[in-house]
Amino acid sequence: APRAVIKVTLLRQEPTSKPITLEGVFVGGSAGYAEGKLMQSHPLSLCNTSEDERQDSIFITIVKLESPGNKVPQCQPLLDKARLALQRGAEAIIFDVSDDATAAHQLREAFSLPKPVVLVEGANAEELMGLVNKNEEAIVHIDIMMESPKWPPYD
Amino acid sequence: QHKQNVGVSTGCQSGCQTCSVYNGCLTCKPKLFIHLERDGMRQIGVCLASCPNGFYGMRSPDRNDCIKCGSECDTCFNKNFCLRCRAGSYLHKGKCQESCPEGLVPSDTKRECVP
Repeated sequence: APRAVIKVTLLRQEPTSKPITLEGVFVGGSAGYAEGKLMQSHPLSLCNTSEDERQDSIFITIVKLESPGNKVPQCQPLLDKARLALQRGAEAIIFDVSDDATAAHQLREAFSLPKPVVLVEGANAEELMGLVNKNEEAIVHIDIMMESPKWPPYD
Repeated sequence: QHKQNVGVSTGCQSGCQTCSVYNGCLTCKPKLFIHLERDGMRQIGVCLASCPNGFYGMRSPDRNDCIKCGSECDTCFNKNFCLRCRAGSYLHKGKCQESCPEGLVPSDTKRECVP
């Protein structure tokens, strides 16, 4: 699956400072460009019963998925949660899958979604969620990582 | 070693059954409602005995949720039955409206359409 470059620019930083560059993986053919303010959604906010408030800015949703053993009510399939987040106006959705190894499989048909869906884990995920946890407002740019071509070895 | 961030009751806010660092409460203790609170860019779960203004409590077998009232409604019984409107709206037959039907006039103090 194509890899994603995630560039994070903090709103409260010196204009000259460089953005934080992180990596993720696009799922199910949803690769593409997206840009917006980073906004967290609780996993339960993407159930049909709940209604997240309308955002006034262009935003990208990030959701920290909990481990399945955690008994968080699943309420609906992950693909439908992603669709709901995009229907609510998100330019893209980032899932922190550090604790949920089943997410990639659940989202394998994300090509049916109109906008990018990115999975992050490990250090990349902890950096992003760390910003959220500290309420560090940030603009996120998502793009497709250009893989450098692997030249065949010439003897 | 990946930071284990899920606590069962211990280390959670009061009322939580399970919680995690980033999402706050995930499940609540019996009878409590889970409310998804927006704080800037964060959205965390909190467990409450009753839902805050602008929300109503909906009970179901696997969890109790705080659900948003209809638009312009401050206090409601459920999604379709408002009890008190926000300022600038007037209650008529359980709905909040910007103006009142013929024969009724808007009361700003009551925020209702009155005869």
